[in-house]
Amino acid sequence: MIKIENLSVKIHEQNILKGVNLEIREGEIHALLGPNASGKSTLAYAIMGFPEYEVTSGKIWFEGKDITNLPIEERAKLGIALAFQNPPSIKGVTLSALLKTISKQTFNVKDLPVSFSEILEREINVGYSGGERKFSELLQIINLKPSFVIFDEFDAGLDIINLEKLTSVIQDKLICNDVSILLVTHRGNILNFLEPDIAHVMLDGKIVCVSNDWRKIWKTIVRYGYEKCKKCEFPSSKQ
Amino acid sequence: MKSAKNVNFLQVNNEIRRLLAGEGVIMLPSSQAYRKLKWTRDHFETKPEEGYFIWVKKQISHPLTTCIAISSPKISQNPRNLIVIEKDVKTEVHSICNTLKKNLYGSHIGHTKVILKEQSTLQMRHFHKWEKGDTVSSSLQFHLEEGAKLSHVYKCSAVPEKLKTELNSFLDSSSSANIETAVLAKKGNINMYDSTFLNGEGSSATMRVRMVADQDSKITSHSKMTANNAGIGHLDCMGLLLSENSSISSVPELINRNKNATLTHEASIGRISQDVLNYLRSRGLTEDEAIDLIVTGFLREAAFYYKGHVLPSKIYM
Repeated sequence: MIKIENLSVKIHEQNILKGVNLEIREGEIHALLGPNASGKSTLAYAIMGFPEYEVTSGKIWFEGKDITNLPIEERAKLGIALAFQNPPSIKGVTLSALLKTISKQTFNVKDLPVSFSEILEREINVGYSGGERKFSELLQIINLKPSFVIFDEFDAGLDIINLEKLTSVIQDKLICNDVSILLVTHRGNILNFLEPDIAHVMLDGKIVCVSNDWRKIWKTIVRYGYEKCKKCEFPSSKQ
Repeated sequence: MKSAKNVNFLQVNNEIRRLLAGEGVIMLPSSQAYRKLKWTRDHFETKPEEGYFIWVKKQISHPLTTCIAISSPKISQNPRNLIVIEKDVKTEVHSICNTLKKNLYGSHIGHTKVILKEQSTLQMRHFHKWEKGDTVSSSLQFHLEEGAKLSHVYKCSAVPEKLKTELNSFLDSSSSANIETAVLAKKGNINMYDSTFLNGEGSSATMRVRMVADQDSKITSHSKMTANNAGIGHLDCMGLLLSENSSISSVPELINRNKNATLTHEASIGRISQDVLNYLRSRGLTEDEAIDLIVTGFLREAAFYYKGHVLPSKIYM
C-alpha cells in the first residue's frame, strides 16, 4: 500500500525527519507514537505532499508508484487522505458545499451514530467545537473514498464518548472496507478503540521502535514516558 | 432573452419590450409615471425618459423582476427608476442590468430610488454583468420609513473597464437595513461609494462589502456609516487579492453624532491563505478549483451560492 524509504524532510532549513522507514499494507492499522515535536505530523504532511515539507532524501511509494514529487491533489486522487489535527477555517464555504465538490460517494449523514449533522450548512471550521471539527474531517475523508488515511492526533480535543462514536464510524466506513490507516498520536486514547496491528515510536525525527504489540509499548510509555524509548527495552523491535 | 417570460419589466437598449405588473402592483414607464402621478415628480431629479416606476400597493407572493439590457452597439442608457413599497407590504425585487454581447461599447447611467413606507419589507437583489468596453455608473437611494426593513444585495459578476456605484440609505426610527455589496473585478477599475445614515432612534444597519480583485484590477471602496440618532451600525469590508498587479483600497468611515449610538467596523484585505489552499488540495481539488470554491464562498453572502453551486472561475456568480 504505502512504503516510506529512508525519508528525510526539512522545513525552513531545519531537518525534521532523519531517515524514516515505514511500510503499511492493505487493511493494516498502524500507530505512530511520539512526544510533541518528534516529527509525527511532519511525516503526515510529507506523505500528503505539502510543498513546504521538502524531501531531502528517500522515497515515498504508494501502490507501487513513486509519489515523492507528486502534488497534493494528485496524491489525494490516488487515494491518500489526511484528517487534520487543526484544520483551517474557510469563511463563506459551507461543509455541504465542500462535500458536494469533493465527494466520490454519498451516504446519509443521519445514519451515523453522531449528532453533528447541523454543521453541514455552517462555514467550514468556523466556530466548530472540538467534536465538530473531528466530525467534519471524518465526513470529508469518508466522502473521498480513500484507500489510505492518516489521522493526525484525532483523539485531541475529543471527549471519550464522542471518541468512541467517531471511532465506530472509522471502523464501519473505513476499516471494514480494508482501508489502511496510520494513527498519529501522542496521547494514545484512540488506540483503545482502534487497536493497531503495528505501533511505531518516533523520537527526534527517527522511528526508534516498531512492534506488533502496541499494548506493551504503550504501557512502557505510560509508566516511564517517551524518554524510556531512547533506551529501548525491546531490542528485537528496533528498526 | 432566455428568461424574458419571467420578467415584469424589460428594457432592451432604449425600448421597453415588456411591462407586466399583476394584481396589487402598478408598473409604468418612469416617463408615464412622471406625467400621470404628480407626486412622483418629487422623487425624480429630472424628467425621466427611460426606466420604470413600480408601486407595490398590496402583498404579492412572487418576486418582481426587472431587466435593463444593452444589445446593440454604442447605446446610451439613462434609466431613472422609482420603487415604492406601501405600508406593511412585504415584497421581493430582482433587478438585473447587463450587456448581452461583447464589444458593444454601451453606456449605462442608472438612478434608482426606493421608498419603503412604514413597516414595509423589501428584499432586493441587484445584479450587474458587463463587458470590457462598457461604461457604467449606478446610483441607488433607499429611504426607509419607521419600522421598515431592507435587505439589499448588489453584485457585479463581470465588471466593465470603469464602474462607479453609489448607494445611499436613509433610515428613520426603528428601521433596519442589511446591505451587501460584492464585486469581482478582472481588468477593471471600480469605485464604490456606500453611505448609510441612521436618522431615526432605534435604527440599525449592517453594510458588508466583499471585493475580489484579479488580473490588473483596481477597486476603491468608500463605506460610510453616519449616526444622527441613537442607532446601531456596523461596517464589514473584506477584500481578496488574487493577482500581484491588482489593488484594493477600502476606506471605512464612521461618523457618530449621538452619544447613544454605536458604530463599529472591521476591515481586512489579503490573499488566500496557503494553509486553506493546501487543505482543499488535500481533498483532491486543484489550486484553481480551490480558488474557485474560496472566492465563491467569499462572495457567497451576496451570491447565487444559495443554490448550492460552485461556479467556474470565469464567471464566479
